[in-house]
Amino acid sequence: MSFRTSVRRVALAAGLALAAMPGAALAQMELKITAPAGPGGGWDAAARSMQQALTGAGLARSVQVTNVTGAGGTIGLAQFVNTARGDGSQLLVNGITMVGAILTNKAPVGLDRVTPIARLTADPLVIVVPKASPHQTVQDLAAAIRAEPGKVVWAGGSAGGADHILAALFAQAAGADASKINYIPFSGGGEALAAMLGGHVTAGVSGYGEFESQIKSGRLRALALSSPERLAGAEVPTLKEQGMNVEVVNWRAVVAAPDISAEQKQALTAVVDKMVKTPQWTEILKARGWSDAYLSGDGFAAFLTAERERVADVLRTVGLVK
Amino acid sequence: MMPSNRTPRVDVAALAVGLGLLAASAMLFLDTAGMTVTAVYGIGPKAMPYAVGGGLALLGLLHLLAAVRDGLPRPDPMDAASVAWMISGLAGLIACVAFGFGFILAAAVAFTATARAFGRRALLADGALGLGMGLGIYLIFTKLLTLTLPQGPLERLF
Amino acid sequence: MIETFAALSQGFLIALTPANLLFALVGVLLGTAVGVLPGIGPALTVALLLPVTFKLDPAGSLIMFAGIYYGGMYGGSTTSILINAPGESASMITALEGNRMAKAGRGGPALATAAIGSFVAGTIATVGLALFAPQLVEVAIGFGPADYFALMVLAFVTVSATFGASPLRGMTSLFLGLFLGLVGIDSLTGQTRLTFGVPELVDGIEITTLAVGLFAVGEALHVASRRLHATDELVPVRGSLWMSREDWRRSWKPWLRGSLLGFPIGALPAGGAEIPTFLSYAVERRLTKHPDQFGQGAIEGVAGPEAANNASAAGTLMPLLTLGLPTSATAAIMLAGFQQYGLNPGPLLFVERPDLVWGLIASLFVANAMLLVLNLPLVGLWVRMLAIPQPWLYAGILVFSAMGTVATNPSPVELAMLLVFGLLGFGMRRFDYPIAPMIVGLILGPLAEAQLRRALAMSLGDPTVLVGSPVAVVLLALAAVALLAPLLFRGLARFQAAED
Repeated sequence: MSFRTSVRRVALAAGLALAAMPGAALAQMELKITAPAGPGGGWDAAARSMQQALTGAGLARSVQVTNVTGAGGTIGLAQFVNTARGDGSQLLVNGITMVGAILTNKAPVGLDRVTPIARLTADPLVIVVPKASPHQTVQDLAAAIRAEPGKVVWAGGSAGGADHILAALFAQAAGADASKINYIPFSGGGEALAAMLGGHVTAGVSGYGEFESQIKSGRLRALALSSPERLAGAEVPTLKEQGMNVEVVNWRAVVAAPDISAEQKQALTAVVDKMVKTPQWTEILKARGWSDAYLSGDGFAAFLTAERERVADVLRTVGLVK
Repeated sequence: MMPSNRTPRVDVAALAVGLGLLAASAMLFLDTAGMTVTAVYGIGPKAMPYAVGGGLALLGLLHLLAAVRDGLPRPDPMDAASVAWMISGLAGLIACVAFGFGFILAAAVAFTATARAFGRRALLADGALGLGMGLGIYLIFTKLLTLTLPQGPLERLF
Repeated sequence: MIETFAALSQGFLIALTPANLLFALVGVLLGTAVGVLPGIGPALTVALLLPVTFKLDPAGSLIMFAGIYYGGMYGGSTTSILINAPGESASMITALEGNRMAKAGRGGPALATAAIGSFVAGTIATVGLALFAPQLVEVAIGFGPADYFALMVLAFVTVSATFGASPLRGMTSLFLGLFLGLVGIDSLTGQTRLTFGVPELVDGIEITTLAVGLFAVGEALHVASRRLHATDELVPVRGSLWMSREDWRRSWKPWLRGSLLGFPIGALPAGGAEIPTFLSYAVERRLTKHPDQFGQGAIEGVAGPEAANNASAAGTLMPLLTLGLPTSATAAIMLAGFQQYGLNPGPLLFVERPDLVWGLIASLFVANAMLLVLNLPLVGLWVRMLAIPQPWLYAGILVFSAMGTVATNPSPVELAMLLVFGLLGFGMRRFDYPIAPMIVGLILGPLAEAQLRRALAMSLGDPTVLVGSPVAVVLLALAAVALLAPLLFRGLARFQAAED
């Protein structure tokens, strides 16, 4: 236990009941997972789902979830890198938003300092237009953006996040100048959606799940998904199917502390490997509506490096990073 | 403010506030000048800081003017010892949390020092009361609400 | 209309079953108990108690939820009134007059008018929710950034009502608030402002830390500093514990006006709960027959904002239930509450699970009534808290303030900010700077900036968009009237005085 208790810990009981269930197999590991966001968000949910699956399947004796809120996860990252160095029992949840936040916040600690373990999930984003919009297809929207990029007003999540990146890559693929896109970031789930429903913007980007009920009720028209493949249960084509070579997913991953030994890394990878194969994990993915995108080892390390380069490129293009 | 309070002397409080506001304004202008990212459409991220900085500068100058004219209302004399006790109590609380002595001790320190600031001298009794209060809050938070408060040696006993 | 009543009575049949009544009671109790802790507002209360509801069936869970929500809101105003430590930004205005009343031995009437006002407003707003939700929500989402900006200009203008004796000191307080509001990430470009490399500052200044620091800690320092020179005797009860006929007469109109301000603004996706409380305070101050009492404990200044706060909470449920739009932190957590049962609020929910929706709306009425029944008898007990000897009372307030800060963010940096803001509040009290404008600046500054910049970005820089909609024009005209009317009245009064 570290004496640096500048830890921001707000732990919720959600999932504790499940966490207390006795394991079937012999559990040796005592893990600590840091969720670099407050209770209730996606990273917190990922950390607590891991806690449920790991203890439920008896892969770990105990799993403690710590929330460190703030600054797109970069505060949690910095604290993790400083306090967990060489500790083979700690994991940190992260995702594409953190990659962007590190650059826009000029965070002192980057993702090059952690030990990659595995990507867990990858949720597709969706591009939507209001019901009354003249744009019927992705091609209509692409043509509009080519003609006058500023006149296509995008609504989405925080500046430099996955939504923003998709809007920029879409403009690029449409043959427009991505530095001229008119992207309006909104905070909080409801506000961007309200701007869409009120017809104040041309198009919107968000996780498919957040817009799903509006799409199904017909108030928003989904033009395309950003994932490589279609989503089961959704009648929305992908961008690639429609001739736009763009792929952005909202991925979530776990990484381990800096300077851990090869054995420690292997042990952590093995436990996550086993976790994603448990019925508990499958159940959680289904309940949360998350798409499985498991990738571990060198494959994930290469993916992480590639994403960091790509995000940095895009943010430079749209002018958020100089 | 009574007109008879107008003295040729400079009102130190108003002068200090005025200089403080000018310093804040300067800080804001410097920080804003260092911003590199601009907006493509509409007004950029610098407009609001410059407006606020300008306002602060103006208010600072008005305070300087007030310093040589009416000045600020004269407050009652201050009981400096009481204020010092309370500030050190809060500083002790922050130190306890920062250096890992935990929330219960932190609460006890702040409680005792504040009670002292209000004239209590039974430090031991107040310390015990503060410990009890800290413990009560700690138990409610961790056991009932499952919020985690800063940990220290005492917290690990429960 | 007829179907609505049929559906609502169906809802009452669900809400009034003994089990569900019990859930509502437990929810109200828990919500009040947790909400009364300073720094822990309704959103955190609901988040903390969400797991408790996991074990219930959906109807019972949502009913308990409604109880927790209203209980948490009422608990927040209790700390505002009694110890000057607002649990959340929306009950900050309540502290202005409410705490003055408590200090003067009128804590009983203050708590009572807050409770009854919350009940009246909650009931009116819930009726509004039941009858007009689908129509009103269409109007609400029509609000664009320019309209919001105009609304915020109006709110800014009315803040002058809190300036007190000196416009110079009032403006200074406001601008310091705007300055603090700039700290953190600029939401439109993602870059940081005024953070000086301190990571804790990247997300901006926590409003509750500023409010609790300025109000509670600053006040404690101020009282300690004058201990030997002034006799700020605290009297728990002076006169009646209950509201007098005069109090009733002065409260009922503010309740109604507060409800009428709170409900529609709360229903706006980016309206929030703070703006209606600011507006209500300004309106009551302007309309009161006792302007001299404002700042010294005017009951209208508690009745109006409390009603506005509660009405806006019910307003928030409107976009949530009809569109699935979570427009406040609490609403976002309630959405999570729905989703744990695989339910998605929105137009389909009314069709698919009318029992749940109308059961929830009915239980809002029930929770509201229960809150009143529960809390009025407690008023006497709460007020007795002020009889605690001064050293222990203020020591306890300080510990509670620190606790609230640590609960939202357990970092020494946050506590250090609490101390700095406490010292600031102390200095401001000594030299008679008003405190409220600073918090208004911190809340409204970033909102107004974001909406203005959004509006101008959407119009590609064309400023006429700011007066491009009828709503914006009306709101800006109201702001102009609010700004100019006092000057006109003053001129008129002077004219009349000269005539006499």
